[in-house]
Amino acid sequence: MAVIRDVMPAFDLLQPASAADAQKLLETYRENAWVMAGGMDSFDWLKDRIKKPQVLVDLSGVDELKGIRTTADGVEIGSMTTLTDIAKDATIRKNYGLLAEAVEHVASPQIRNQGTLGGNVSQDARCWYYRGGWPCYRAGGNECFADTPVGRNREHAIFGANRCVAVNPSDSAPALIALDAKFVIQTSKGEQVVDAEDYFLGPEVDITRLNILRPGDLLTAIRIPSTWSGAKFYFEKVRDRNVWDFPLMNVAAAMKFSGGNIDEIRIAVNAVAPRPMRLTAVESAVRGKPADAATGEMAGKLAVQGAIPLQFNAYKIPLMRNLVKRAIGGVQETTWTS
Amino acid sequence: MSDSDDLKQNEGATKTITRRNFILGVIAGGAVVSAASYRFLAPSRRQLSGAGERLITLYINGKPRRVDVMKQETLAWTLRYKLGLTGTKLGCDRAECGSCTVLIDDVPYYSCSVLTHTVRNRQVTTIEGLAAADGKLHPVQQAVVDEQGFQCAFCMTGFIMSAVGFLKTNPNPTRAEMAQGVSGNLCRCQDYSKILDSLMRAAEYTRRA
Amino acid sequence: MAGVELTKESLKPIPFGTGYKLIGHDFSTNDLVAKATGASKYAEDFRAEGMLFCRLVLSPMPHARVKRINAEKALAMPGVRGILTPDEVPGHANYVNDNGTMIKADRFSELALADEPMYQGEPILAVAAVDELTCAEAIEAIEIEMEPLPFNTDPLDSLRPGSANAREEGNVWVPNPPPSRESQLAVLKWTDEEFAAEKEGKLPMGHAPEEWSYGDLDAGFKNAALVLDETFSTEDVSHQCLEPRTTMAFWQNGKLYLYTGTQSTMQTVPAIARWMHMPEENVVFISEYTGGGFGSKITGALTLVIPALLSKKLNAPVMMRISREEEHFIGRARPGIRARTKVGFAKDGRITALDMFLVSDAGSYGSNGDGAACAQITSLLYQPAAMRWRNVTVATNTLPRSAQSAPGGMQAIAIIEPVLSKAARKLGVDQVALRRVNSPEGKAEYGPPGPGGKRSYVTSCYLKQALDAGAKQFNWNARVARSKQSGTKVRGVGVALSCYHGGTSGFDGLIVITPQGRVKIYTGIGNLGTEAFVDVHRATAEILNVPWDTIDLVWGDTSKNLPYSCHSGGSQTIHAMTRAGHAVGLECAQRLKEVAAKSLGGEPADYEVANLRVSRKGGGAGMSFAEASKAAIKLGGIYDGHDVNPAVNKYTKHSVAAHAGEGLVASATDNYPHDGDSFSFLACFAEVETDVETGKYHITDYLGYADVGTVIHPAALGGQVLGRSVLGMAHAIGQKWVIDPQYGVTVAQRFYTNKPPSILDVPVDMKWNALNIPDPETPVGARGCGEPPVGGGCAAITNALADALGDNIFQRVPVNADTILTSYEAGRPMQNPFLAHI
Repeated sequence: MAVIRDVMPAFDLLQPASAADAQKLLETYRENAWVMAGGMDSFDWLKDRIKKPQVLVDLSGVDELKGIRTTADGVEIGSMTTLTDIAKDATIRKNYGLLAEAVEHVASPQIRNQGTLGGNVSQDARCWYYRGGWPCYRAGGNECFADTPVGRNREHAIFGANRCVAVNPSDSAPALIALDAKFVIQTSKGEQVVDAEDYFLGPEVDITRLNILRPGDLLTAIRIPSTWSGAKFYFEKVRDRNVWDFPLMNVAAAMKFSGGNIDEIRIAVNAVAPRPMRLTAVESAVRGKPADAATGEMAGKLAVQGAIPLQFNAYKIPLMRNLVKRAIGGVQETTWTS
Repeated sequence: MSDSDDLKQNEGATKTITRRNFILGVIAGGAVVSAASYRFLAPSRRQLSGAGERLITLYINGKPRRVDVMKQETLAWTLRYKLGLTGTKLGCDRAECGSCTVLIDDVPYYSCSVLTHTVRNRQVTTIEGLAAADGKLHPVQQAVVDEQGFQCAFCMTGFIMSAVGFLKTNPNPTRAEMAQGVSGNLCRCQDYSKILDSLMRAAEYTRRA
Repeated sequence: MAGVELTKESLKPIPFGTGYKLIGHDFSTNDLVAKATGASKYAEDFRAEGMLFCRLVLSPMPHARVKRINAEKALAMPGVRGILTPDEVPGHANYVNDNGTMIKADRFSELALADEPMYQGEPILAVAAVDELTCAEAIEAIEIEMEPLPFNTDPLDSLRPGSANAREEGNVWVPNPPPSRESQLAVLKWTDEEFAAEKEGKLPMGHAPEEWSYGDLDAGFKNAALVLDETFSTEDVSHQCLEPRTTMAFWQNGKLYLYTGTQSTMQTVPAIARWMHMPEENVVFISEYTGGGFGSKITGALTLVIPALLSKKLNAPVMMRISREEEHFIGRARPGIRARTKVGFAKDGRITALDMFLVSDAGSYGSNGDGAACAQITSLLYQPAAMRWRNVTVATNTLPRSAQSAPGGMQAIAIIEPVLSKAARKLGVDQVALRRVNSPEGKAEYGPPGPGGKRSYVTSCYLKQALDAGAKQFNWNARVARSKQSGTKVRGVGVALSCYHGGTSGFDGLIVITPQGRVKIYTGIGNLGTEAFVDVHRATAEILNVPWDTIDLVWGDTSKNLPYSCHSGGSQTIHAMTRAGHAVGLECAQRLKEVAAKSLGGEPADYEVANLRVSRKGGGAGMSFAEASKAAIKLGGIYDGHDVNPAVNKYTKHSVAAHAGEGLVASATDNYPHDGDSFSFLACFAEVETDVETGKYHITDYLGYADVGTVIHPAALGGQVLGRSVLGMAHAIGQKWVIDPQYGVTVAQRFYTNKPPSILDVPVDMKWNALNIPDPETPVGARGCGEPPVGGGCAAITNALADALGDNIFQRVPVNADTILTSYEAGRPMQNPFLAHI
């Protein structure tokens, strides 16, 4: 059977106006439904004709899933809120600047105008073999094409590989983990609220998906508690091109201080493993220590312990070490002005 | 879905290439890989032809337009192939070049990655909608013409739409801010310097207008 | 030195346009409003009644034989109109070139559809249907049985003992003995002993089928104060024109109408005729706008042939829309070159000897000249006292290569400049000074001696002046003196020389002065976007002394009867077509004077042309262009195109005949002499800032200082200097291929994986300048600038990086965070320089 790309397959388009309707549709069609938020990930799968859902459930008309609300304990961001709206939001910028910075580093202005927070955290892996339609483990096959002696794996995992070596490419995910966000999911059994880090799945649990959503489930909102409001934040994304590109790696940290020392900290990195990695060992090790170069150095070294590089991604070890170091110890700023 | 049938078929085929064969293959150099290994490139087989079009009303450049639209049709396709508005270009069809940029309610979007059915009640502006009825160019267009901006110009209409949208949010940008503002547009002639020259002039013209 | 005498004063750029009304002054080109309003029509914007859509099936394998195609189910689907298979496409054809010489069919060249695809992505089948969705569903219903064949995607691997050859006939292109310009495939394998150098990170050097040399190499190395032996590789980089090579075709009354983007309107016609095995006069080619070419859309291509054949077969217009992924596969690329260069330097940095060994990747069809051009440019730009070049052009099962802006020259500069930088550091010589001492000047010689023992030389070269002026404008000395490191940031400055061919000659011009008094200039140059196709006619208007707004430029449609013109490629247009434009301007003025003399009395020499009139010198009788046009029609013969200037090309003759009687018709050919070959030169400067903790770097400043002769259109030239510089930067900062060699399959066919630079990857405020010293060997003094900046754009960046980080970071481009991070810590290049496509 010959192959063709770049023609969207025909599907039935369902455009619910409420979250409840959307959830019901997803439940009705289950595996035969494709849920579309901003569409920035979906269109690739569809245009490559690798995914041919019977129905496409378009969430763009569900207004109740859009917007940022201040709650008694922080903010709640509708899953269909665009990245641009989050980056512009005064409350987010003031209190949760980490998230604003993370979403500002996503892709391009047009993609941020359309891409949503729900979509950004739920997007699929970008391993080029997997996205190219190869029958790899993640696609339900029994082989990894990236982890071979000559496989092209410059952008793949140094941690958490389990048959599959793809990484989670989200920029907002580590920021949400650092902010201790809660993900609100509507399921057939009612509402489920999970910690940000528990939203993401590694291949050891299910190799075919990056998050816990099952057919019929709908991510409706992300709640950020006020716990970390106004904390000291650090976000950095390293990518090849300054527009469009997924991270080679990113890091997000939130720190609170007491008497000049780190009192509380949450730190996560992404694009190093199949799921965003919260670095709990680092968190424990730096608590009570000053956020200085020495602590950063120690944290960086600790962070990369146990990393296993592939043929072409050994650079991710110094990169991760340095990003963690900077997140905690700060960046040695330049003195030159020009 | 029948996806799984295909995968089952593939399983048998791909199992024949083990890690060991990979290594041997590399050492021998360019060994013939069995035809079966390429079957992975086969897509899933479900056909759903004849998905119908539906007549809907779109608001394009300030006017209602009645048009038959398929469920899976993108806005770029509708504009170009149904409404004859070919100033909107398809450079990649994958949201990574910006040639298809249009404004939806004054905000720049990649029209290659918007389903037409999702913009039924929204105002769409394309390059054809910028100039005045008497043909007087929009300030951004005029600036591009005056500065001899762009080369092959396949990216130009997308850049102009991005700039028009961006200037609504930041009418007085620095050169660096302008670059950020249109950073979702790719120019393969790499005429970025002259593009920024013309768009900075565009900002000036827009403020004066 | 011939031509302009240079004094200190002449270092100051002449204000552009001095002494001219049009040349050197900015204006908005004739196509610009249409482009800015979306009214400009590119190939995919055309529609025809009953138009079918066509989509391709590409080979999933890098080398295979199509055994069987079963399209029964597909053809039975509603809306499917037909398919085109490899056995339906015309085979290789002999042809007769412009000089009447029979060129034998090249059996190694590609056909429109392949039954033995030589690379993944090669078209093997086309399907036409009422819409694309039907095409897609039909294609998925087609069964294709393919037998995989041995393949190799890595040129160096192809030279290993026992490795697979890309093609049955062999793996290496060997030139036939002169005067033939063809090459044959042969099998070449080096020995394990020859490959031993690889272990030390040096390019192995076995037998090389191509070689030339001049000077005393041994003495040069013996007398050198420093000898460096460096290995460096450049990457395969796709053209990735923003407009995919979509084509629409229909037939009417036996004529083929083809709509696509091209770099040449006129020269594409014979190419199509050749591909299609049909007479040229039955081809009508329409290409008003072209969304980028960079050398990949010079003339005919398989993308024109497929819809043409399908349209004929199905008797309906066919639009073949090419997707971005298809564009990656069939859109051509620059060949990567693996190089080893041994260079001897005197104490002051002067190159005493240069020994260059190259392994060039030709891809799957035909040889290419990048390796040869690489050597030519090296010998010109750095003027080594003695030089040897050896080259192996290897066939691989990767997509066919073609010329890309500065073919071979870009690679030469990318390969040699890092050696120069290292030498300057080792010798303690300033980088600008080292380049100055090696820079060509005047009628500089290049390449090996020809059959007569003489070397070729250039028309003029003022590169040392450009280097000096550029260093001044860039504040080179001040930047060098600044501190390098602060915090985690390290900055470095780089300078690179750059050059390439800057023009050809021998083309025609064609003008019709209409009875309404308009000056219609016809041109067969492709509208590539550089605007050269407009700019060159400023020279014609200048000579005719007419205001620009009285000119109507006619381009982009061969049914409008255009003259024989150069293609817009190889930086030849500004040079070639200002010459032709100058010639036809003079011819037109002369004919106007003759018409006036015949009508009003006196001799033609008594008249002058100005302000849309031809009048007696010093006042008196005269006639307007409109009157002269009408008089010309009355006179007939040579004046209104019923007779034709015998010097012009056959295509021009045909076009003149078609315009006969439309007004005063003037045609002329460029037969101006030029002593030397035209090359353009630049000095390129860059500063980068690297963060050694992340490996990220940013280009903070860039200046390209050009020696391109007379500046015709400053804004367009600036666009070329900086645009082509960024095309070069792309090679340094990230554009690449990624291929899995196990399967011979590309995994990076998307922009986010093959990485063409975005607007935020280059400095926000780049600078350019030009000496504006006229070339003494061409009437207007202008040369082209499409190719010359590319190599300098790349090498200025890599030199700046090496200045910041040291000489032990990279042996290949592109250089990215991964390269820097691993090598900076290790203190040596950690990326295998030969391992391509990662």
